[in-house]
Amino acid sequence: MSEMLIKNATVYDPINNINGDMMDIAVKDGKIVDSVGGSAQTIDAGGRLVYPGGVDAHTHIAGSKVNVGRIMRPDDSRLNNKPRTKVTRPRTGYTVPNVYSMGYGYAEMGYTTAFEAAVPILKARHTHEELEEIPIIDKAGLTLFGSNWMVMDAIREDDLDRLAAYVAWGLLASRGWGIKIVNPGGGEAWGFGKNVSGLDDPVPNFEVTPRQIVKQLAEANEKLNLPHSIHLHCNNLGKPGNYETTLATFDVCKDIKSKRDRQSLHVTHVQFNAWGGNHWGDFESKSEPIADYLNKNDFLTIDMGQLVFGSATTMTADGPVQYANARLLKARWSNGDVELEDSSGVTPLEYHPQSYIHGIMWAIGLELALLTKDPWQVLMTTDHPNGGPYVNYPMVMTMLMSQKRREKEMAKIAELTFERTSIAGIDRELDWYDIAIKTRAAHAKVQGIIELGKGHLGVGADADIAIYDIKPDETDATMEFDKVEAAFRHAAYTIKGGEIVVKDGEITAVPKGRTYWVKATAPADGHERMMEDLKMKFKKYYSVNMANYMVQDEYVEHPVVFETGYQ
Amino acid sequence: MQTVTLVPKEQFKISVEAETIKPDNFAGKSADEIGALVAYEGNAPRPLSELFDIKVDGSADAADDVKIEINGNVNRVKRIGEAMTAGLIMINGDVDMRCGAKMKGGTITIKGNADSWVGQEMTGGEINVQGDANYYVGAGYRGEACGMRGGKITVFGNANDFVGEHMCGGEIIIKGNAGIMPGVSNKGGKIVIEGDTDMPGSEMTKGTIIVKGTVKDLMPVYQREGIEAIDGVEFTKYVGDVVVDGVGELFVK
Repeated sequence: MSEMLIKNATVYDPINNINGDMMDIAVKDGKIVDSVGGSAQTIDAGGRLVYPGGVDAHTHIAGSKVNVGRIMRPDDSRLNNKPRTKVTRPRTGYTVPNVYSMGYGYAEMGYTTAFEAAVPILKARHTHEELEEIPIIDKAGLTLFGSNWMVMDAIREDDLDRLAAYVAWGLLASRGWGIKIVNPGGGEAWGFGKNVSGLDDPVPNFEVTPRQIVKQLAEANEKLNLPHSIHLHCNNLGKPGNYETTLATFDVCKDIKSKRDRQSLHVTHVQFNAWGGNHWGDFESKSEPIADYLNKNDFLTIDMGQLVFGSATTMTADGPVQYANARLLKARWSNGDVELEDSSGVTPLEYHPQSYIHGIMWAIGLELALLTKDPWQVLMTTDHPNGGPYVNYPMVMTMLMSQKRREKEMAKIAELTFERTSIAGIDRELDWYDIAIKTRAAHAKVQGIIELGKGHLGVGADADIAIYDIKPDETDATMEFDKVEAAFRHAAYTIKGGEIVVKDGEITAVPKGRTYWVKATAPADGHERMMEDLKMKFKKYYSVNMANYMVQDEYVEHPVVFETGYQ
Repeated sequence: MQTVTLVPKEQFKISVEAETIKPDNFAGKSADEIGALVAYEGNAPRPLSELFDIKVDGSADAADDVKIEINGNVNRVKRIGEAMTAGLIMINGDVDMRCGAKMKGGTITIKGNADSWVGQEMTGGEINVQGDANYYVGAGYRGEACGMRGGKITVFGNANDFVGEHMCGGEIIIKGNAGIMPGVSNKGGKIVIEGDTDMPGSEMTKGTIIVKGTVKDLMPVYQREGIEAIDGVEFTKYVGDVVVDGVGELFVK
């Protein structure tokens, strides 16, 4: 492959402590190197902003529920359409774009890696078929374990080795990256039209509690020495007053020691569960106690799940919350059943600035990011497409960087919002370095992919580089937010693995991305007990034959396997 | 006043998507400039000059001073007048689907028949169909929460099923008969059917439907409210659809 030299770049690379230094970046064979020869292709960045390629640690870009969203929303496929070009296919859709548009949209914003945050084991084949067709970006999927029969049986019998063996099998079977837990226990209860109400509410027929599920999966996660921690969507999400459950859930993992240089708990889209009040009438923000907890504890990280006004398609493995949403809003809804595993729900909705409920939700996401002191602890996401589509990330970045920009948005929002939140009084403005943390460095750290060369620009890292048409030393991001947003929206260059894939905001090449997955060695005796149990369950309860089931290598054409072992 | 005359060069076999044909795009342009605008025949972009003979008389500064006259058969040309804001389009023949979709202002007159989704999601302006209209007059396209939101559609002939589906505002008048389920899932606006229809107003939460002819089958989801006179004629007034807590008004003779 060719060599490339990016000259005069103003670089922000938090993992390597580079804070706005003017430097050159050399690329050879898709990796960052010390230097290249004189014949290398040269890009003169001319002092413009250079970040590592963006990483999205939590998004919903592939799999059956995304596809259900597409089927449910023919109206969405009329939005954001772009005709084909010489290199790209036609693009449709805003909240649930077509498969190709997913990759193009990320690349245009300088993003090069994204994690699909919920893969049910039985639907993993479909997920990988879609991931494979998403162009340009590298991908991975987090496998759902929070309401699986196998998980709950092992936990009830307090058999940690068997649980770890099942997790290892589940990651292999789904070619997954880590443990995702959604509304622990609630997905199973939903099979009987019920839910669990808190950490100590036993799951019907299993007599295990969400507390046990979270704790033991976190322990199994460390036993297997997985690159990522458990990735948790708390109980009671989407209900006023749920911040107490959230805080109690944090505490469950307080004493779990992480084996790697990362958190031992990642709690996702916390905007949806930092809510106070007893009902929608006295609904209010409780981001302060959440941020306060984060400021006092460093074992956990969260992501924002920022709300963006306008159309959204909510999709989550939390079936009961979606049913409640759909009834409340008289909206369409669909339920995805995956047999003994989790069950998802999909509901389209519209966020209105004039609704104080939506206004408060909008404020909570920003409050979480701005009240938490350590930028590494709060990742910027919109929980695409739940809080809003990922194409709005540039707007969210400017909201974090500029109080003026927030004030402009606040002018549109229902007044009651500001009595029930503290957003109007927050004057913190993040800088270019903080944004690099919140949109790439911390995502890579949280997901444990730094050692794979992602999220930074150190020698040996993947040459995933974003050059934005803005000069940090000449631009006051707190005032010129429109200019900053435009620059983030259309990268001047996106370089993926040493190849220019975006130039001046237009897609110029569509290489295939890779898929990361984890191959974990299971404890031997646990593995035997687990397989016996699993074979019995497939035979007795699944409609799919176990012999027919497993994501074969053919489904993952560009794999990167991360091997780890039981300790 | 600028008059633009379009005559199709052939009977199109593949449908043409011609949302470029509207006064907003033609105002002040010469025949050559108009001919350079692009429509899609199937998946192939074609300049209008390849599809139509174009003649321009006079000139105009703004769309409201433009009249487009289409002479000939455009029954395979879709989306004429889409999102137009002002001016006049006269179609001397039949027209294909989605004519006047998302229209904001101005007037479209169709001398022949209109295919489905005439005035789909329009917010203003006026459409007159002198012949018949097919399905979904003034409705929303697949999955849309709101169809027509404003403006007026008059069909002088008959209309097919689902007139004004998901309508949120505006007015539709059908001088002839309408097919089944006019005003399904309506949230506002007014539909007047001078002829007969079947099963009007199911899932309607708001809005008004007046049927001057016969209702073949009245859905059992309407509550009778008594007799009320409209323009001196007595109608039975119903309120519903009660299944969806609707307060829509349905007047039946």
